[in-house]
Amino acid sequence: MLRSIFLDALKNLSGNALRSGLTMLGVIIGVAAVITMIAIVEGGQVWLVHSLERMGTNLLFVWKKRLTVEERQLFAGRNTELRYDDALAIQTRFPDLLVAPIIELDGQLKAGDRDYSGEVTATAPEYSPIRNFRPESGRFLTSTDLKEWSRSVVLGRTIAEVLFGSQSAIGEDVKIGDQRFTVIAVMEPKGEIYGHDYDEMVIIPISTGLRFFQGTDKIQSMIIHVPDRQRMDEISQALHQFLVQRHDGVDDIHIRNQGEFLTALDQTILTFRLVLGGIAVIALLVGGIGIMNIMLVTVTERTREIGLRKAIGARRQDILLQFLIESTTISVIGGCIGILVGILAAYGIGDLVAQAMPGGGDWGAVVQPTAIAIAFAFAVMVGVGFGLFPAMKASKLDPAEALRHQ
Amino acid sequence: MLILLKNIFKTYKAGQVDVPALVDITLQVDQGEFVAIIGQSGSGKTTLLDIVGCLSQPTSGEYWLDGDHVNTLPDSLLTGIRNKKIGFIFQTFHLLARKTALENVQLPLMYAGASRTVQQDKARELLTRVGLEDRLRHYSNQLSGGQQQRVAIARALANSPSLLLADEPTGNLDSQSGKDILALFEQLHRQGQTIVMITHDPLIAHQAERRITLADGRIVADESIHQPLPVLG
Repeated sequence: MLRSIFLDALKNLSGNALRSGLTMLGVIIGVAAVITMIAIVEGGQVWLVHSLERMGTNLLFVWKKRLTVEERQLFAGRNTELRYDDALAIQTRFPDLLVAPIIELDGQLKAGDRDYSGEVTATAPEYSPIRNFRPESGRFLTSTDLKEWSRSVVLGRTIAEVLFGSQSAIGEDVKIGDQRFTVIAVMEPKGEIYGHDYDEMVIIPISTGLRFFQGTDKIQSMIIHVPDRQRMDEISQALHQFLVQRHDGVDDIHIRNQGEFLTALDQTILTFRLVLGGIAVIALLVGGIGIMNIMLVTVTERTREIGLRKAIGARRQDILLQFLIESTTISVIGGCIGILVGILAAYGIGDLVAQAMPGGGDWGAVVQPTAIAIAFAFAVMVGVGFGLFPAMKASKLDPAEALRHQ
Repeated sequence: MLILLKNIFKTYKAGQVDVPALVDITLQVDQGEFVAIIGQSGSGKTTLLDIVGCLSQPTSGEYWLDGDHVNTLPDSLLTGIRNKKIGFIFQTFHLLARKTALENVQLPLMYAGASRTVQQDKARELLTRVGLEDRLRHYSNQLSGGQQQRVAIARALANSPSLLLADEPTGNLDSQSGKDILALFEQLHRQGQTIVMITHDPLIAHQAERRITLADGRIVADESIHQPLPVLG
């Protein structure tokens, strides 16, 4: 009997192909919306986490607060600068941290007849592991470079190409200002992350930068890697305290915690997920109302058929089942088409985003089987749920009246 | 005794007013009878057919059909009685348009829970019996009125009902097809089938062996027709 009811449902749906198609469209759009939205949010998350990993993880960023005029007067004579010594002291006090002090300098680079003007970063060997940024050829800065104020320079991929073309840059001379440096490494390509293009970096030892370019021991910032993500808050606080103490009790330090940033990010993504998921679910509900509407019309149109079926022996549950199977068939077929449309739309939109977004080259939608399963289950529930009322209505019709319905 | 109606009343509500459709109907029909119920429109024929056909319940009174005390039964059991004990034939045939003749005849068998093979074998046999063995796969729009009514008769006979209940069976047919259908009734009657037929046409009522006349919801005459007319023409 089920087989027969199912075949009847298919016949009735194909007999009203245009109407069935339009009704299905609601479900198709709903299911496709659910899948696409989840895939895009998921893709965004994967991309963000990935770029964070490229940027380095478990990082603390330390820099100096700008003091007001009043504060400067108030704290006159106290030690209110972030200095290279601070970085060394932190490293001594917290040996399991990786500490990279940083100063940024403007520089004119010259190699042969080519030149380049841009930013030069002076930092420590730890910068490479902290930023997860490795040399493609040559070796990164070492502690010896720091100790000897060596005139070694590490070039980003783009700079190496600007200055040396396709030739190997290792061992070549580069002038920065009027100082002669030797290229010791060219970094792997890393691209742009949050507006910072790693391939355009020029890196020299911090000691060299301080001594030959800046002439003071002030540093602009520090990046610190914490081995254990769980301890980031605790270490952030300890560092803050430690630095305030070193600065004669003046609180002139900012520490930004990447962990907090990640938590904020997770919350943002969750919000996105809820909002977009909510919109998609509403789309699906609207599709369900479409089903209910059309099923009510169908029940009215087929009142005489229902009366006849009841007269010759259809029980209530037979009629109920017949119309439920019909509405569920609409939603199942619509759901299947919606899955295909949703997957195509997700990848299509993913590609568009990848092209439109700077540094979004590896951005892509992530279609997960669970998302498909959720969307499909929802579609079936919508079919059953919104088909139930019309089907109940049909099953409760009075056979004598239904038979003579005009 | 197949049908026993005792003091049946049926009242409809029209707004505040009660409209009596059947008033104190008492009636008995035996196994194998061919009964015509005749009356003007509004006489209560249709209401009586609905009650006898277990499509609706009387307001008061008792109804026994083939040993079942019908007016005490819930809706769910009435369905089974309609399926197994009653075969309906309607003026407008009531065939399902998206189904073939064979599938239409299978329906009551399907609702009775028969297997697909049994359904098909039985339906084919019944259609052969009404002379439509070469129309099994036709849809109703490919059949003439007379042929459609034959499909409906085959469907009515599907579960070997104790009662064949016909509502103006020739009302939508040309006279020749009408005669053929009545001849088929006559043949079924001779084979022992109990038939109750509702009509407004005295000539058609004359095909039966007993004629019950309704007026204003009451039985005004119940007479035997000793010499049924031979099938007209």
